[in-house]
Amino acid sequence: MHWLIDPFQAEFMQRAFLAAIIIGVVAPVVGTWVVLRRMANLGDAMSHGTLAGVGIAYAAGVNVLFGAMGAGLIIALLLLTFSGNRRLGQETVITVIGTAFFALGVVVISRLDTGVELTHFLFGRVLTVQWNDIWLNLALGGAAVAVVALMFGELRLATFDHVQAEQVGVRVELVQGVLVMLLAVVVVISLRAVGTVMTVTMLVTPAATARLIARDLRRMTLWGVVFGVSEGVLGLMIAYHLSSAPGATIGLVAAVVFAVVFAITLPKRMPHHHRPLG
Amino acid sequence: MSTPILEVRDLGVHYGERHALRDVSFAVGAGELIAVIGPNGAGKSTMFKAICGLVNHEGVVEVNGVHCHDHTDRMDLAYIPQRNDSDLNFPITVGELVLAGRRRFHRWYQRPSATDVAAAELALERVHLPGAGTRALTELSGGQLQRAYVARALAQEASVVLLDEALSGVDQPSTLELLDVFESLAAHGTTLLVATHDLALARRRFGRCLAVNGTLRADGAPATVLTTEALDSTFGSADGTKGFRALAD
Repeated sequence: MHWLIDPFQAEFMQRAFLAAIIIGVVAPVVGTWVVLRRMANLGDAMSHGTLAGVGIAYAAGVNVLFGAMGAGLIIALLLLTFSGNRRLGQETVITVIGTAFFALGVVVISRLDTGVELTHFLFGRVLTVQWNDIWLNLALGGAAVAVVALMFGELRLATFDHVQAEQVGVRVELVQGVLVMLLAVVVVISLRAVGTVMTVTMLVTPAATARLIARDLRRMTLWGVVFGVSEGVLGLMIAYHLSSAPGATIGLVAAVVFAVVFAITLPKRMPHHHRPLG
Repeated sequence: MSTPILEVRDLGVHYGERHALRDVSFAVGAGELIAVIGPNGAGKSTMFKAICGLVNHEGVVEVNGVHCHDHTDRMDLAYIPQRNDSDLNFPITVGELVLAGRRRFHRWYQRPSATDVAAAELALERVHLPGAGTRALTELSGGQLQRAYVARALAQEASVVLLDEALSGVDQPSTLELLDVFESLAAHGTTLLVATHDLALARRRFGRCLAVNGTLRADGAPATVLTTEALDSTFGSADGTKGFRALAD
């Protein structure tokens, strides 16, 4: 019983659990659309690329979350501007922009003459989350969930059949733009807890696990949240007892849950489940 | 023909230097059931997309006498793309698919109303899929899927429905059931243009044929379009003409 209760005793752990729960809710709500639109690469580039803003903000003595937010917005705008290039293709443009910003972040942080370590930003330091971080994450995360709830129908239409969506009046490009912005928000709120490298795990893995078992979008979103929150809490508890890196432990728990659900649902996805002609 | 419900004049589409379609003109009345025939790559899908305003094009498209494509008027057209244009494993129920047709009647942030739900249920009944609203799209057969798409077009209350290869990959009983649905809709005033490779069906079950290959090669009743000369012009192979003729017979 102590194993369960001990991690919740200290205030810094309570804040860490709150941060993990906020990410556990918000990341899968946005991640559902990242998975369905096959945008995991974009999430990866965005989460890595924000390191540039983090490094610059840290060097300037500004809250790193604002730096991450600024970098996220700039990356989003660059991606929206250049990803339509037919000669290169979307994946290439995403990778070039994401790695360029990531490299800039590494260079800036490596030049800082302080005790800060690159790994703090790469893998997060959830145990150092402060109350003002929690409030900011709550506000940003709440706004992101509200936007998804409001735009649920538009997102569904634009994702499933963008041709019909466009035809009946959905502004497909605007929906895509909003989604990229939401991605930037998830990266910002995940920064302290799981770091820039592991953010994409929280964005993609719980939603991908939910995709394996849900037959409609609402259930997929809800299951994603269930997985995201429980994996965040469980990962933190394990990290507390094993003294392992919290962000990476959460990521590992998410991957294990995915593997288990994948194995359990495998028979349902065997080839004989093809759609009949008639 | 009375006042045309859809009028296309000098429609053309080009990708860079290459013309995918040029100088296509025709008019369609309410309740017509039309087969659009032509070989692969002839421009049938391009023509449908241009009519819907989904690709840049030259020429004029009018629906009910109004130049569409500006914004809302093109919503009076419903386009059902080829099956491989959509993610058919998407987690969506049949009811949600059909309700998507009701989007034109409300703003982006509004939820479907009871009227929308009733319209979607009625649309499913009209395509012989009553009560299928709660089923996942992945549970439908190919023929049922096409009928679900037609139900979406009905829920959209579109005057003109464009179906791209709707009969491909569907077994014969389902094809016949789909054709029954098309005829029933046409009898109630909906105009349907169906792109198909099945010339025998085009002859037997459609009232009019448009033969397309880069431009409009022939337009008229099946008996006048499915002739040796017209098929030769459309499919472009003297060797293949006999085969097409035999198929059409």
